[in-house]
Amino acid sequence: MNLVRSELLKIRTTSTWWIFGLITLPLWGLTLLFNWLQTDALASGNLGDVPADQADQIQAVQSADSLAANLYTNGQFFGLLIVMLLGIIVVTSEFFHQTVTTTFLTVPHRTTVMMAKLVAAAVVAMLFWLVTTALNLVFGVLILNSVDVGTQFGSGTIWQAIGLNALAYLLWSVLGVGIGVLIRSQIGATVTGILLYLGGSIGAVAVLAVLASRYGDWINQLQVAVPSLASSLMVTGAEIPGSPPRWAGAAVLIAYAVVAGVIGVLTMRRRDIS
Amino acid sequence: MSDGQRSPTTGSGQIVVSGLTKQYKSVRAVDNLSFTVEPGRVTGFLGPNGAGKTTTLRMLLNLVTPTGGSATIGGQRYADLTDPLRHVGAVLEASSAHKGRTGVNHLRVICAAAGLPKQRADEVLALVGLSPAAKRKFKGYSLGMKQRLGIAAAMLGDPQLLVLDEPANGLDPEGIRWMRGFLKGLAHEGRTVLVSSHLLSEMQLLADDVVIIAAGKLIRQGPVEQVLGSMAQGGRVRVRTPQPEELVAALREQSATVETDEQGVLLVSGADAPAIGRAALAAKVELHELTPERPDLERVFLELTAGKAGIR
Repeated sequence: MNLVRSELLKIRTTSTWWIFGLITLPLWGLTLLFNWLQTDALASGNLGDVPADQADQIQAVQSADSLAANLYTNGQFFGLLIVMLLGIIVVTSEFFHQTVTTTFLTVPHRTTVMMAKLVAAAVVAMLFWLVTTALNLVFGVLILNSVDVGTQFGSGTIWQAIGLNALAYLLWSVLGVGIGVLIRSQIGATVTGILLYLGGSIGAVAVLAVLASRYGDWINQLQVAVPSLASSLMVTGAEIPGSPPRWAGAAVLIAYAVVAGVIGVLTMRRRDIS
Repeated sequence: MSDGQRSPTTGSGQIVVSGLTKQYKSVRAVDNLSFTVEPGRVTGFLGPNGAGKTTTLRMLLNLVTPTGGSATIGGQRYADLTDPLRHVGAVLEASSAHKGRTGVNHLRVICAAAGLPKQRADEVLALVGLSPAAKRKFKGYSLGMKQRLGIAAAMLGDPQLLVLDEPANGLDPEGIRWMRGFLKGLAHEGRTVLVSSHLLSEMQLLADDVVIIAAGKLIRQGPVEQVLGSMAQGGRVRVRTPQPEELVAALREQSATVETDEQGVLLVSGADAPAIGRAALAAKVELHELTPERPDLERVFLELTAGKAGIR
C-alpha cells in the first residue's frame, strides 16, 4: 500500500499526467464530433445505397442500444492509447532518469515494486476512464436527444459497454507497463506502443483483408488476435453479424495483458541495474 | 539524529564481502573479492577506473546479481533486510532524480515507499544544507546540490551504514571539504561509512581504512597508516648540509647509500633520520634539513596497482 502511494506520488509530482490529460481532451472532442455526425446519419437512416450483404451489419449498429453505447464509450480510441503510454512511462521514466536504483534500494523486492506500478498505472487509467465517461454521459445524452433516440439508460447493453470500456482502459495500462519493462528506452517503448496500437488496427486489417481474399473469409476471424481490434470488438455496443463474439475480444485482451504483466515482472526480477 | 554517540552494536554495521565474483560476457569485473568494513570508521574503497568498485557496491546492494560469493550487511543480504533504508543509506549516482520533480518531492516519494513520515524529507534537506532549494526542480540543481540531495536521500532512514560511490565527483573544493566533515562526523557517531573513490589525495584526508582493488581483485586492505607504512621501508631521508663530503663519508661507514640531487640535497637510504643525525653529530657536521620522505597514498596506490589498471 505504501508502495502504491509512492508510485502515485511519482506520477502526481511530475507534469506527465496533466500533459497527457491536455492531449486527451481535444482528441476526445474530435471523436465526439465524429460520433455525433455518425449517430446523426445512422439515426436518420440517411446512408444512401447499402449493398445487400452489409445490410445486416448496418442494421445492428443502427439499433438505439448500439448508437447509445457507441456515444457513451466515446474517446476510447485515443484514450486507450494514452493510458497505454502512461503505463509505459511509469516504467521507462525510471530508467530514463536513473531513479530505478533508488526505487530498488528502497524496496529490494522487485515483484512488489512491479505490482505497485501495475496498480498505480491502473488507478490512473481508471481516472481517465471516469472523467471521459462522465463527459460522455453529459454530451451523449445531448446528442441522443437531438436525434430523437433517447438516453437508453434503461438498456443493459449500454452499461455493459461502459463497464467493458473500463476493463479496456485497465488492460491497456497493464499492457503499457509490460511494454515499458521489455523496452527500457523511453522513445523506443513509446514508438513501439503507438505502432502496436495504431499499426495494429490499420495494418492488421489490411493484411488480414488481403489474406482473406486469398484463403477465404475465416481469416477475418483472426482479427480478434490483434490487441487493438480485440479491444474494439470487446466494447462494440451489440453483437455484429460476421464478427467474432465480444467475449472472445475480452479474453484475448486479458491474455495479452496478463502475459505482458508476467513477462514484465519476471524480467525485472532478474535484471542487473547498473 | 546526528547528536550523541551511537553504541556500535557488534556486527550490526559490519560489511563482509566474501569470494564475490561477477562475470560479464567476456570480462570478470569482480574476481573472488573478499574484505570487511568495520563500524565507526570511514573506509576508502580505492581502485583505478574500471577496477570493479561500482559493480562490487551494486552487488552489495542487490542491484546486480553476483556470479558467485556473497556480500552481507550485519550478517544479512541486502534483499533480506527488513526496512533496508533504516539500515543502509546509499549514494550511487548524482543524477538519480526525475528532472521535473522538486527536491523535496523526490524525497517524499522515497519516504512514502519506505513507510517513513514525510517530515523526514524536510529534516534531511536541512541536514545537508539544501532547505532553500527544496522546492526547486531537480534540473535546476548544480552538481554539488545533486550530490547533497543524494546524501539527503541516503540519510532518510537514519541508517547505521552509509555507502557512497565516488561522492566527490564534480564537487568544488568547498563541497569536498563539507563532504569530508560530514562523513567523518557520521563515522564518529559509530556508523559504518564506505566510500569509493579514485581521488587518492582526498582519501588520505578522509579514510581511516582503505580497501584497494585492481582488475576486480583485492590488492591491499588495512588502516591507512599501515598500508602506507608497509611501503615506508626503503623510504629515503632528505638531508641538506653545508659540508656534504664529510657527511657522505660518515654515512658510507654505516653502509648507507647516498645520492645527490640537482640542488645538492642528499637523498639517504639505508639509514633512518636518528641514525643520520647521530652520524652528523659525531662527525661535527652542521645540518640544515633532515626530512624522512613519507610515501603518500597516491604513490603507494600507483605502485600497488601498477600494470593492473587500464582497459580490460
